Amino acid sequence: MLSVRALTAITAAGSILLFAGTGCAPKPEKTASTLYLVGGDFKGFDPADSGDTETAEEICRVYEGLMEYSYLERPYKVIPRLAEAFPEISPDGLTYTFRLRKGVRFMDDPCFPGGKGREVTAEDFIYSFKRLLDPKQQSDGDWIFIHHVLGAKPWAENGRFDDPLPGFVALDTHTLQIKLTKPYPQLLWVLTMPYAFVVPREAVEFYKKDFRSHPVGTGPYRLVSWRRRYRIEYERNPSFSGQRYPDVGEPGDREAGLLDDAGKPLPIVDRIVLYDISEYYTFWQMFLAGQIAASGLNKDYFEKAITPQLGLTEELKRRGIRLYKTPEASTWYIGFNMKDPVVGGSDPRLRQAFACAINVPKLCEVIYNNRNTPANSIIPPGIAGHTDKPYPYPYDLERAKRLIAEAGYPGGRDKNGNPLRLTMIMPGAGSTDARQLAEFFVDHLRAIGVELVVQRLGFSEYLRREHEGNYQVMYAGWIGDYPDAENFLKLFYSPNKCPGVNATNYENPQFDRLYERVVVMPDSPERTALYEQMADLVMKDCPWALMTYPLTYGLYQPWFQNYKRHPFSYASSKYYKVLPH
Amino acid sequence: MTAYLLRRLLSVIPIALGVLLLTFLLFRIIGGNPAIRLAGKNATPEKIAQITRERGYDKPYFLNVENFPHQLFDAQFPRLVGRLLRGDFGESITTRQKVRDILVEGFWPSLCVTVPLFLLNLTLAIALALLAAYYRNTWVDRLLVVLSVMGMSVSSLVYIMVAQYWLAGEWGIFPVWGFEGPQYLLLPVLIGVVAGVGGSVRFYRTIVLDEMYQDYVRTARAKGVSPARILFSHVLRNALIPILTNVIIALPFLYTGSLLLESFFGIPGLGRMLVMAIPNGDEDVIYTETFLGSMLFVLANTLTDIAYAWADPRIRLR
Repeated sequence: MLSVRALTAITAAGSILLFAGTGCAPKPEKTASTLYLVGGDFKGFDPADSGDTETAEEICRVYEGLMEYSYLERPYKVIPRLAEAFPEISPDGLTYTFRLRKGVRFMDDPCFPGGKGREVTAEDFIYSFKRLLDPKQQSDGDWIFIHHVLGAKPWAENGRFDDPLPGFVALDTHTLQIKLTKPYPQLLWVLTMPYAFVVPREAVEFYKKDFRSHPVGTGPYRLVSWRRRYRIEYERNPSFSGQRYPDVGEPGDREAGLLDDAGKPLPIVDRIVLYDISEYYTFWQMFLAGQIAASGLNKDYFEKAITPQLGLTEELKRRGIRLYKTPEASTWYIGFNMKDPVVGGSDPRLRQAFACAINVPKLCEVIYNNRNTPANSIIPPGIAGHTDKPYPYPYDLERAKRLIAEAGYPGGRDKNGNPLRLTMIMPGAGSTDARQLAEFFVDHLRAIGVELVVQRLGFSEYLRREHEGNYQVMYAGWIGDYPDAENFLKLFYSPNKCPGVNATNYENPQFDRLYERVVVMPDSPERTALYEQMADLVMKDCPWALMTYPLTYGLYQPWFQNYKRHPFSYASSKYYKVLPH
Repeated sequence: MTAYLLRRLLSVIPIALGVLLLTFLLFRIIGGNPAIRLAGKNATPEKIAQITRERGYDKPYFLNVENFPHQLFDAQFPRLVGRLLRGDFGESITTRQKVRDILVEGFWPSLCVTVPLFLLNLTLAIALALLAAYYRNTWVDRLLVVLSVMGMSVSSLVYIMVAQYWLAGEWGIFPVWGFEGPQYLLLPVLIGVVAGVGGSVRFYRTIVLDEMYQDYVRTARAKGVSPARILFSHVLRNALIPILTNVIIALPFLYTGSLLLESFFGIPGLGRMLVMAIPNGDEDVIYTETFLGSMLFVLANTLTDIAYAWADPRIRLR
């Protein structure tokens, strides 16, 4: 029988046990050969399923495509990667002939005979492109080819994979021809996307459903280990086909040390380890402890790192930590359903009143800690077609009241004297940020007498309502896929109406005619002028009340070098350098 | 007893189906067509229609009356039930992993945290409750009660943040984050115990004290039985029923892991994955979790009843 004394002893021992055995905390080794980052919450290594940023980043470490973005140059520029040079384009703009670099090999893998990776051929690209279009893959990336490549749609519909697809032709082992139905000036941009990266058929057939866990690419790194929801480790791919650090950038890159490694073989770092850290607090502790090379900044930590003047705090400066600010290629807006009997239609005055009633600079300050800037065009900065012209509907309460009265709702009341009640949908059910944003809009609309009801929805429900056009007003954003204004303007082309990407059901024959003209035009000052004209047309009709352009703030360690954020490219890690620390 | 057990086990069917039906109503009918999300932001209407068709999202929700009688059950909910009963849990729409693989991968890391946490919490709480009851109305009892109330009043999040900042970050006693070996589990388990033990101590102390005021305790004391013997041989035995209820009902939750601890300490378990599945609308993960969870919960209840009969011969299961 235990005595009370023994019970006391057991209790104490139990308490002490909890603390026992706690040696020193294992920490990542701080060498120049390993880079520690955060990431890893992604779908797997299948280029055909790479629609989200996280997945695209991981795929770009192991796979490559014909083209890629120039790392340092701005405005954004495409350069050949697995293509030997820029393609030869036929005078009618319908045939692109790519010559592949010779000697590029897939990494060694058991899927190949003898485990030895073989040379990449034009047939590999054809296989990869067909795989993207294969309905069995249910890829969200088939849009890059399906309406543009000759014979792509019928091929996808007939369901026989090994049937030839007339738009993809291998002229010889190292020559690939892409034939189009109409000029597609965006082709080179979309070929930089992971959707268009090359995969070996042997790997897909060898690993079958497990293919997404066994990447076999030509990229700068190869996968060493991957524990989902925890850690990924890559090492240098010994068969990576020589590429060197660029020697051209934009003004200021040399002073920033971004050209110090010009001409050095890539990748610079031997190993990359990514931790899948879901809590920003933990991530912040590890970043401050020097265990992670770079950190984004979330809203709650913004003031810990950034001063009211939008510089770095003294404490972080003392640690040598550096700040980067990069505009994202996206536009956030309030969209109006143009088919709605109240907010839609040809009279833009109610929509314009809505736009004038919202104090966007205050929105940036209060809701976004000035991490976003007020938008002035549907085309975001950095993309040809964006202008610095002032937004036609800046915050102006008197003008908003006047416009809403002219629209038939004086004081926000209809002809029967009832208050105008509008319903807005936004994603973010249960999210504090979404609630604060909703309250901001409700308060501002109340000032012109409008009763705004905001429905905060789960993302799937929000998408369904948006695609079905089952909403009156919505809060939304569009993140550019490539730096061409066409990617934003297609959201207003009437054949793309719901359930297509034109979620506001905007319809303007003049705009449609211009769209059909510019969509086949190569880049030129004339096309840029037309983009500007089209953006002006849309803004006049006001299917979007423009809100903000996001600006990404991030921090990086003093020993982390060659970091330059690119909003479209995910293939940056081969350029990174880590100094001994 | 056998008839009782059979009855209870059969009750799993309507309960699991009911829970599944509610989840289905919430996510599929109110939540919308997952094909829109799968098709991506640049999707064409044809693409959405194709995925909808291939994944069966275009079928009727409950009964396919158009194809009566041969394909009456060729509808979304009956297909889901059939699939789950066959052990086919589907795949995650966010990671494209088989849900079965997700469960297998995350099960052990979750148990690595929850089992030691549960056992330590239970042992420590019962021991402290017995101590408090033994020293009732003395400074020992009061101190334990005050500490318990203080412990349970502070959010787990505060313990995590303070411990991660000081014990791990500043003093380096524990790793900040990771799942590389047993030492990585010490801090999450310690935090879990500190955050949870207060409530358990108060609960068990009340149970033990209730027993200590019973007539049989007074009789034992009058007969000169030692206080320790009264505590362990009589009081603890009679207090077993509420303790067992508390313990067995907690068992199904062990496999679901601990959301906060797993998220903050990088434990690749089921807790974080399951909670992330809800905002992501990851239906198959949610259906599997609710289906298995409801079955485990009914089984745990049945086990509790059996334990009652074992602990108290006066109870008969009919």
